[in-house]
Amino acid sequence: MRPEEEDRLLEKIRHLLESGLKTQTEPFPETHIEFARILDELRALPQEDLRAKLVIGGFTHTPYGPDQMRCLECMYYLVHRKWCDLPELAVPVEPDWWCRLWRI
Amino acid sequence: MANLLWLQGGACSGNTMSFLNAEEPSACDLVTDFGINVLWHPSLGVELGDNLQRLLNDCVSGKTPLDIFVFEGSVVNAPNGTGEWNRFAGKPMKQWVKALSGVATFVVAIGDCATWGGIPATAPNPSESQGLQFLKRNHGGFLGKEFRSKAGLPVINIPGCPAHPDWITQIVVAVATGRGGEIGLDELQRPKTFFQSFTQTGCTRNMHFAYKVSATEFGQRKGCLYYDLGCRGPMTHSPCNRILWNRQSSKTRSGMPCLGCTEPEFPFFDLAPGTVFKTQTVMGIPKDLPTGVDKKGYIALTGAAKNAAPAWAEQDMFIV
Repeated sequence: MRPEEEDRLLEKIRHLLESGLKTQTEPFPETHIEFARILDELRALPQEDLRAKLVIGGFTHTPYGPDQMRCLECMYYLVHRKWCDLPELAVPVEPDWWCRLWRI
Repeated sequence: MANLLWLQGGACSGNTMSFLNAEEPSACDLVTDFGINVLWHPSLGVELGDNLQRLLNDCVSGKTPLDIFVFEGSVVNAPNGTGEWNRFAGKPMKQWVKALSGVATFVVAIGDCATWGGIPATAPNPSESQGLQFLKRNHGGFLGKEFRSKAGLPVINIPGCPAHPDWITQIVVAVATGRGGEIGLDELQRPKTFFQSFTQTGCTRNMHFAYKVSATEFGQRKGCLYYDLGCRGPMTHSPCNRILWNRQSSKTRSGMPCLGCTEPEFPFFDLAPGTVFKTQTVMGIPKDLPTGVDKKGYIALTGAAKNAAPAWAEQDMFIV
């Protein structure tokens, strides 16, 4: 994806989240087995279905939970590209966002 | 001249294949340059039947001095402790192992099965397998934890699935040339020269480990394999990235996670579905943290590392 395409996609995601898109932030996958189940759901989605990806991923545009977890500390977050590198998501994200596939 | 005898219990012959691929020194060098007399080996020995029994009995009786007894594979005790599932040269292999260990100057266990029981001893362990002096991490094993060879040493453990060829031949040479007493062993009786450092030591992905950039697929050149793909390099003692395999590479260098095969718990999690090549987490945090790192420190380090990560850490740096 070219940088300008990534920027456009980031804006689109931001707009969806800020306009109140209800996503599945819970349950948080406590173990790798539950984590793998969410990945399976994501793999089954049509590639262009961005909205469903955000919903199943449980995206928020703010830090989440009592520990204020956020993309910045997540293993899959590429700081300079502002990108989620988890293949099943592979979307541009902001450092203060979060999703339930967060891993450290 | 040092007499070496190599026997095989519950094994796949992987360590024999590894041994025969040794380069520094090679299996032939052991004979021609270091004066090792290979009395018998499962793939090299020519004696069969009565002749083999005679050779073994001569070792047990002391008629033929046994300097180095090498054992590959687990000690099979099934069924019901008899060892009948693994008969060799007229009797259960476990009886040969006991008798030969009692007369050998040095006893060397090669590979996971001989050291800790390995894959055959994975639950429910139907073959009642044991390592020579350990069963997984429990000290004791088949010979008991008080066992000492005639040289006064416990079993020298060279684990791995398989053990690297040069770990095998270098230790055999050290023993055969009278330097066996100088081999420092760790608490699991592994030679410290090989097993003090970690698999991660020398890994080409260490920069990605430091800056917390994860590999997400096998074979990727960028990213660390620990965070997502179950690599055990930071918790595993081996020189796999110091003494390269085939003098070329290692698993982690080629984009495959370390399975931790030199540690007694291998195969980890008893090979339960979903546990292989997948980092096990609890609430998003790895269950097994790098050796010596606690959870609080790990979280703090991650935040700091991500904040400090340079742009190049996210890019592929090995360009063909």
